[in-house]
Amino acid sequence: MLTETIAAISTGGTNTGINIIRISGSKSKKIIDEIFTSKDKLDHQKIIFGKIKNNEKILDEVLVSCFKAPNSFTGEDVYEINCHGGRRITLDILEIVLEKGARIAEPGEFSKRAFLNGKIDLSKAESIIDIINATTKKQTNIAIDQLNGGVYDVIKEERDKLIELLAHIEVGIDYPEYDYEELTLESIEKMLESIKQSLIKYIDTYKEGKYIKSGINVAILGGTNAGKSSLLNLLAKEDKAIVTDIEGTTRDIVEETVIINDVVLNIFDTAGIRYTEDVVEKIGIQKSKDIIKKVDLIILVIDLVKGLTENDEEILKLINDNNKEYIICLNKMDVSCENVIKKDIQAPERVIQTSFLLNQGIDTLKGKILEIFNLGRIEENQDLIIVNERHYYLLQKAKEHIEKAINISKQGMSMDIVEIDIKSATKHLGEIIGEEIEVDVINKIFEKFCLGK
Amino acid sequence: MEYKAEEYDVIVIGAGHAGIEAALASSRLNKKTAIFTINMECIANMPCNPNIGGTSKGHLVREIDALGGEMGKAADECYLQSKMLNHSKGPAVHSLRAQIDRKKYHAYMKNILENQDNLDLYQAEVIEIIYEEGKIKGVKTKTHAIYEAKTIIVTTGTYLNGRIIIGEISFESGPDGVFPAKQLSHSFEKMKIQTRRFKTGTPARINSKTITLEDVEKQPGDEKIHLFSFDNEEDESKIRTNQMDCYLTYTNDNTHKIILDNIKRSPLFSGEIEGVGARYCPSIEDKVVRFKDKDRHQIFIEPTGENTNEMYIQGMSSSLPEEVQIMMYRSIKGMENAKLMRPAYAIEYDVIDSSKLRLSLEYKGIPGLFFAGQVNGSSGYEEAAAQGLIAGINASRLIDEKEPFILDRSEAYIGVLIDDLITKGTNEPYRMMTSRAEYRLLLRQDNADLRLTKKGHELGLISDERYSKFINKKEKIEEEVERIRKYKVSPTEENNKILRELGSHELTVGVKLADLLKRTELTYLNTEKLDKERKKLKYSVRNQVEIQIKYEGYIKLQLEHIESFKKLENKKLSENIDYSKIKGISIEAREKLSNIKPDSVGQASRISGVSPADISVLHIYLNQINREGL
Repeated sequence: MLTETIAAISTGGTNTGINIIRISGSKSKKIIDEIFTSKDKLDHQKIIFGKIKNNEKILDEVLVSCFKAPNSFTGEDVYEINCHGGRRITLDILEIVLEKGARIAEPGEFSKRAFLNGKIDLSKAESIIDIINATTKKQTNIAIDQLNGGVYDVIKEERDKLIELLAHIEVGIDYPEYDYEELTLESIEKMLESIKQSLIKYIDTYKEGKYIKSGINVAILGGTNAGKSSLLNLLAKEDKAIVTDIEGTTRDIVEETVIINDVVLNIFDTAGIRYTEDVVEKIGIQKSKDIIKKVDLIILVIDLVKGLTENDEEILKLINDNNKEYIICLNKMDVSCENVIKKDIQAPERVIQTSFLLNQGIDTLKGKILEIFNLGRIEENQDLIIVNERHYYLLQKAKEHIEKAINISKQGMSMDIVEIDIKSATKHLGEIIGEEIEVDVINKIFEKFCLGK
Repeated sequence: MEYKAEEYDVIVIGAGHAGIEAALASSRLNKKTAIFTINMECIANMPCNPNIGGTSKGHLVREIDALGGEMGKAADECYLQSKMLNHSKGPAVHSLRAQIDRKKYHAYMKNILENQDNLDLYQAEVIEIIYEEGKIKGVKTKTHAIYEAKTIIVTTGTYLNGRIIIGEISFESGPDGVFPAKQLSHSFEKMKIQTRRFKTGTPARINSKTITLEDVEKQPGDEKIHLFSFDNEEDESKIRTNQMDCYLTYTNDNTHKIILDNIKRSPLFSGEIEGVGARYCPSIEDKVVRFKDKDRHQIFIEPTGENTNEMYIQGMSSSLPEEVQIMMYRSIKGMENAKLMRPAYAIEYDVIDSSKLRLSLEYKGIPGLFFAGQVNGSSGYEEAAAQGLIAGINASRLIDEKEPFILDRSEAYIGVLIDDLITKGTNEPYRMMTSRAEYRLLLRQDNADLRLTKKGHELGLISDERYSKFINKKEKIEEEVERIRKYKVSPTEENNKILRELGSHELTVGVKLADLLKRTELTYLNTEKLDKERKKLKYSVRNQVEIQIKYEGYIKLQLEHIESFKKLENKKLSENIDYSKIKGISIEAREKLSNIKPDSVGQASRISGVSPADISVLHIYLNQINREGL
């Protein structure tokens, strides 16, 4: 069982200052003994300086740390080699580790072992993934909050209410002749209604939560030379996020990921959309349509000098048809101060005047983005925010079942049928906090870990 | 001097409800069977509640019947009153209950046993199970007869080392003053079968001539009578025209005072009783002490036979001294002059640890030895009969070297019962409740035949004749369901008028009758006028059609849940897994898993002390094992 010793590069493996190769398993001591030499003795919780050698050839000077089972991350013997961060050197060291008896770890395998050895539980595992992937302070705080049991406590409370309700209903069923205060239909419906409202409250936070966790998907559209690239360049000067796998997007179409005011913006690549001066290319419009569907926000850059073009109007129409959020930048205000355009646009509060050339209007733009997505008001110590898609999905399902229960009860359906929906809701809430078994979920969670963790 | 009496395929020890079903099953499966009773007069005795059925128990009786067992038929012959409980709630929880004539029931069952082919009935106390070289060989009786057997089914009920306790007095006894079985336990010790003590209680029997019936509330039976056995469906001759009544009265402050004043003399509270009683079958002193706020408790007065005045006082079992009992009963309205014919008592008895049994009810490690009924820690006649039936079937199949017959939780209440006993073990006498069944909507009492008759036929306990009758019914149901799924009801003025009168909203477009029936205010019967093609169908057929259509969505939902349930049930666990090596599982879970050695991850998840987190770990562990090809 789990006898194999595993190894992987825990730090991403690219050229950086330091890379870490982590080894876990019963053979790790033997491997280290064979490849690592040092003046000092390696012991539990010690980190010592030495050399990695392949037979006689010295590969690198390194620091090695040691954690003896069971007091390590995985619960097994864990050794970590901190080596110089060149990609070549790191791979060479990994190679001899593997030669000496380890095998490459699968995605998330270290964490799986930690889980199997009782070092972490399921929801902690999930929150670890989130912490790893966090790029903003808000993301980190929420993930840490979950690590400390934020979601668990709140959802458990609601679930316990449902369970108590079920108990009352069951007594009425299993002991139909005994006189005790059977709950009236009215009071049952009332209780369900209040639980439903609580769930809706949390579900609603997901909109913001999602943006906090995965960022806002943005597309910058507009005619050629209206200033799209200038805007992109200005935004790109902001904090860059280290790009990781973002839920729901593929890396190739996100051109730039920036952080403004602690919120991630995923700016989609619109380079593929081209308009000719006079005629709207059908292809261009189709591409615009596709992008508009995918993103949360469209920034439409309009050349004040040229005025509102047909293309711009097409795009505005598409935006409205798809019910998307948008901001209109009337650019080049350094050149023109035409006010005539403003009255053609329906929502003046979505319009700002900018001059990207002169770096004007950017702050207003940032402020507008936060305003539209209500992100300005999310404080550090907010009530529970749901950021996890799995939690969101399960909360939705639970709420739907409760709604159904209330409806059919009002229609006169008997309590033992109404109960079925209440039970389903209870089950879904239980899946969030790990009190129900949903084995496929466990696999999915660990798949999300990437190599080395 | 011992003497060799005879050889049998199956020996059943005890002729209570479990023993009877076990013996009938094996003999009907052509196995030479012997059944022993300590006292012929106690065959199919009902020492407690004189009724059969009730919530979830009625379900068990129907299932026993669908598999070819006898209890349902006996109840249909011997009932005094019939009631369908939970009538106002959904069909999943409708439960049939019948008050039974005790003497008649006993006579009926004794007669069946006497006349059954392949079955011999003996009055004898079995004092030893002969166990040599790790194998059971047979039994020995008090009169020194040796009976050899290939398999033995222990159905000793509450007789093993039974002790009756009434206040300060206690004496060795089986139920109803019959002498107990004192020696058999020694065999258990030899076979290293551990036992523990359980207790149960029963109320007094009061002479009806001393009860003022005008002062208590009459509780008559249902006007529409339902029967238990599917064989008796639509059989008019079994419908009683003159049912006997039950009565309802209440305790009062006086009663409670008497009890509390004398509580020190209650063996429960004085520590006399070491056996564990059931939480949901408390004695009256239990109730009064625990629920101090209740100012009155319900008491039902139930007849026990046509030819007797003995009335069973339900809700007032007790082990208080006889003197106190008399005061207590007489404090109740209508019973001021009550004369106790039999006092209330508590009885302690030996039970085994049911988690040591396999799902087939065979004892782990002792091939051929089966246990069924109250000796397993269950309570109730129906729970006992269900286990007896399964044990009888499996003893027979063991002899034929066939796979044991096991029902799972999604197939029958019997499955829930046995799975609970084996997987969860019992710390108190186990009573079946509908809330124990996860798939209650599918395990209804009205569809027990649809679920189980085929299996009964395959087992060999349902005759070809009955089976073809069943197939006929099944086809009629399926045809009618199909027909109303297709039948269109048009939005005519005539139809809408009918709908209006039924309190239902009108149609603007044509709908299928099946969809219309999903409205809560419409039923199969009241939509008669909307259905021009309808033919007259039997009640049992139309009832099924209505339920299947009305609850279609929910039935489907539960079927989907069963899919996931089966997935976990099918993830098999080998007997050889060393749970102590899986560090991520809690210590308690490791212990329980090692003790019970569940067959599947599903069963593991139901063991108390094994949490979902433990199951997650187990699951991942299994994955890793499979990956590493071990």
